[in-house]
Order: sequence, then C-alpha cells, then structure tokens
Amino acid sequence: MMGAENVAQAEEAKEPAPAVTEVKQATAEEWQVIGATVPGASHLRAGIPNQDAILFLRESSVGLPIILSLSDGHGSNKCFRSDRGSRYAVMIGAQLMREVLNDDPSKIAESRTRLTQEFARRWNEAVTADLARQPLSEEELARLATKDSEHARRAVEAHPLLAYGATSLTVALTQSFIVYLQLGDGEILTVSETGKVAKPLPEDDRLLANETTSLCTKNAAEDFRFFYQPLTDALPALILLSTDGYVNSFSDDAGFQKVGSDILEMLRSDGFDVVNHSVKDWLEEATRIGSGDDCTLGLICRTSALQSHPVPAAISAATTTPAKPPAQETPENIADANPQPQAEQVA
Amino acid sequence: MSKRPGGELASRPLHFIWIADSSGSMQQDGKIQALNTAIREAIPHMRKVADDNPNAQVLVRAVKFSNGAQWHISQPTPVADFAWEDLPADGETDMGKALALVAEQLKMPPMSDRALPPVLVMISDGQPTDDFEAGLKALMGQPWGKKAVRIAIAIGQDVDNDVLQKFIGHPELKPLAANSPEALVRHIKWASTAVLKSASSPAAQGTDHPEASPASAPTPMGVPVPTAVPTPPPAAQAVGATPNPADDQATIDDVW
Repeated sequence: MMGAENVAQAEEAKEPAPAVTEVKQATAEEWQVIGATVPGASHLRAGIPNQDAILFLRESSVGLPIILSLSDGHGSNKCFRSDRGSRYAVMIGAQLMREVLNDDPSKIAESRTRLTQEFARRWNEAVTADLARQPLSEEELARLATKDSEHARRAVEAHPLLAYGATSLTVALTQSFIVYLQLGDGEILTVSETGKVAKPLPEDDRLLANETTSLCTKNAAEDFRFFYQPLTDALPALILLSTDGYVNSFSDDAGFQKVGSDILEMLRSDGFDVVNHSVKDWLEEATRIGSGDDCTLGLICRTSALQSHPVPAAISAATTTPAKPPAQETPENIADANPQPQAEQVA
Repeated sequence: MSKRPGGELASRPLHFIWIADSSGSMQQDGKIQALNTAIREAIPHMRKVADDNPNAQVLVRAVKFSNGAQWHISQPTPVADFAWEDLPADGETDMGKALALVAEQLKMPPMSDRALPPVLVMISDGQPTDDFEAGLKALMGQPWGKKAVRIAIAIGQDVDNDVLQKFIGHPELKPLAANSPEALVRHIKWASTAVLKSASSPAAQGTDHPEASPASAPTPMGVPVPTAVPTPPPAAQAVGATPNPADDQATIDDVW
C-alpha cells in the first residue's frame, strides 16, 4: 500500500539537472533495464506473499540517469508486513537517489551520510505513517504468537517496525559516475565488456546465517555500504542487482558470479528480448531447486557493449533491432498499478 | 530458452550435529541405551521435516566424547541415508575436546557462507573433565559457531547445568532436563523436528535482539538462538524452570 506522502514526493520531484559532461564516453550510450521478482518456493508452500520489491526510475527510454532499487522484506515470522516494508524501501531508495542527483551531482561522493541518514529517516517515517493508518491488529499479533511465540509477539509490540523489516540495494548510473548503496544481504555485481565480474561494495561479514542488517534497526544508517565510482575508465557492460534468495540458490559464490558473465553472453547471442523474457523463468527455477526464498534480479545493460565483441552467428534480431524501450516508471504508478511490483512493471 | 545463467543450483545445506556424552557414567541406569534408542527413533521424524522443506539439505553427523573426543559419524550424511550407530559408554567427560572438534568443522571452508544455521545438540549427564572453556572459546571463535542454534539436554541430576548454559549462550534458553528415558525421547524428538524445522527456514531476520527497543540500549548483532528456536513443548521442561501442571508427568517419571 502506497503512502500518500510518498506519492506526493514523487510528483513534486524536480527534473534531474543536466549531468556532468566531462566524461564524453558515456553520453551517447544507450542503456536498458531488465528486472523480475518471483515468490519463493517455500513462501508459496507456506502461503506467504512475495516480500521482495523492485523499481527503477529513468528520465528517458534509453538514456541516463538510471536508478534501480531492490529490496528484500525479511521472511521471519516477526516481519509479517515486510512486503510493505520492501516497497517503501524501493520507493524511498529511488526517490532519494533522484533528489541527490538533482541537487548537485558533484557533491554526491560526499553524500553518504546524508543519503543513509535520510534513507533510514524516511523509511522509518513511512512505516510509522503506515502503522498510524493501520495499526498492528490483534489478529496479526495473535497469529504471530501462534506461529512463533509469545516472545515474538512481545518483541513486535515493543518494536513495531520489526514487522516491516527489509533490506535495500540501490544503484544510480549517470554519465559521469555510478553510486552503489546497500543495506543488508543480496549482491551487486558489475560485468566488464570482457566478461570480468566484480563486486563494487565491500563484503559485510555480519551477513551470515539468515541474519542481516536491516532498515528496521536503529543502526540502519550506519550499516549501509556505499561506493561512489567516477566513470573515468571503461564503462561496465552490465550492472546486476540481486536479492539473497537468488544468490543463495547457487551452490557457491562462483556459481552466482557466473550469472553476470553468462547473461552478458546471452544478451550478445540471444538478444535483449529473449533474455528479458527469460529472467522470470530463471528465478522460478532457482527458487524451486535452490534457496526456496523470494528471488529478484535487476539488470542495467549498456547496449553498445552487446555489439562490441565478436557475436556468434546466431545473433538475434533483437540485438540489431533495439528492443522496445522500457516504460518510464515512477513510484506512483508502481504503487497504483500493483502493490507487489512484478517483472512486467520493470521491463 | 532452455539454458540459464550461472553455476549449479542447489538447496542450502543445514548441518545438524549430535554432540553426545559417552562417558562411563552414561553406563549407569541405562542412560546410554536410552540415548541410542531416542536418537534412532528420532531419525524418521527428522526425515519427515527434511522432506517438507526441499530447499534445505539436512546433513547429519555425530561427535562422541569420553576419553577425548572423536567423530562417531564423521561424514555430513543426508538425513535420508543417516543411520545411528549405537554408542558405547566408558571413560571421562572430555566435553571441551568435543567442542574443539566441532569448531574445526565449522570453519569456512569446509563450511559455506550460504549454509543455513547449523544445529548443535549437546547431550550430557556429567561435568567436563577437560578444559571446557578452551573448547567453547574455539567454537565461539568461528562465525558459524556463534551463529549455530545450540541446544543442550541434561540427563539426570549430576549434570553441570552451568556448563550447558554456557554452551547455549543465551540466558532465556535453558538446558532441557531429561530425568527419564521418556523425557529424553521427547527432548531429542523436539530438537530433531521443531528446532530443525525452524532452522531450515530461509526466512531472513533483522539482527536486532528481539527484546531490543529501537530507542533503548545499543542494538547488538543478534544471535540466532532466541529467534530461531521454537518454544519447547510444556513437557520439555527446562532446568530451573518453574514446574507447571503440564510437567507433572515428567516429574513423576523421574528415574535418573
């Protein structure tokens, strides 16, 4: 459910300021966004909704900037409203990044504290407003006590934000820099034109055994990971964001990282449309055979990188004929269209 | 499109480790026979839990401790193939060495960071005869040792509950008192089913301690135990807990 104040923020948002043009390399590039989210196999067995969310913002159908945001609502019994928490997270993440880009892109490298504190504050505010509109009901709390324990009920009564707990992964790509912002588990990968896969953010050793840093904790602002990357060298061919349900579906980290280089090759050999229409199937297979958790994958790909390497003879028309540009999305129409963002809304 | 990106897909491993006392005192009053029977009877229930969650691969093994500690069943064995081999009872109670042995196997590698929280079930009737603190330190020195769901079952009246409490590492969870073969069966079944089911859920959770208030003391990085361990059934009476009518049967049946 979309809070009215969030809709208002989206409507009032200024148009992005002209991007810094010192780096000529990126200005003529075309970029595409692909994404999908599927409910976890174990969630389907238990009758739990998909608690992941995905959203992207862009100012034109192929150009920059692009902002892509994912969130994973915790599946713990105590986090029984985390599907809402994740939707607030993607809306706030995307909107906040857009505002920062509008204000003064040259200062974004120093904006970590502002971004993270404001992110945590707005999420807290949005969830608090949601609670004011719809307080935790006796039915919800009784169900928690039955499903989990009285202890769990008391914990949520004392700290209602727990019910909304969620992670956040947000990337903003402009002509001159990329900003990566992450709180909690999941992975962000970049893939070079040669297929080299890298993780732009440092590892967080605390993310183990289903435990994660979260927007619902009091230390949320401090727990974000942030990286500002000026685009002085080669542009990435692909940026990949994934919630941990997909990451954990692979038998090891190398198997997950291979997703990055494989998708780049598939984009080159099979074309954008084929990959775009396959993502949901990949995620459904992954959750069924793998983790059982909700799976969400978002991709930003540079069109020229799909053509700059020798392409197999079987290249599809989709590569030479640009795919239909994705529709411009805003938090408003995501919220109005469907309270549970789905693949169709992204790509 | 039949191909898909990435490496091999796989369910997440869940390591379940019995840490069983096989000291000489377990020979008395049929304790070791009761333990062997209880674990053997629990296996079908474990299989049922594992079958209900195909996204977790439950792998079982066992450590025994008496004079030193050894792997009783050393290979992480899929629960479908797991068979309990009867433990003998003889010697001292080298519990610390058992923890050190487990700690070695919880290192990464061989553990993977995508595993589900391991479940460690300690069953003992006595007091450590070696350096328990050193073993516990080794265990808690491993990230997976700290994150493990640690359950303790105290057999009889002579057990050192303070030691088992340290092993559990959380004040709200107490060792489960097994003063009869029936109680031991109940507790082992509970650890093998309810705890296993809870630990095998993919549900992520915030790291807040459940009692932590957003405006109160600094939020610690949580331990999974208080959130991952279901409430024991009434008959699974904790040591030191206030008895209630539902526990009468356990009290009446006390034989150890």
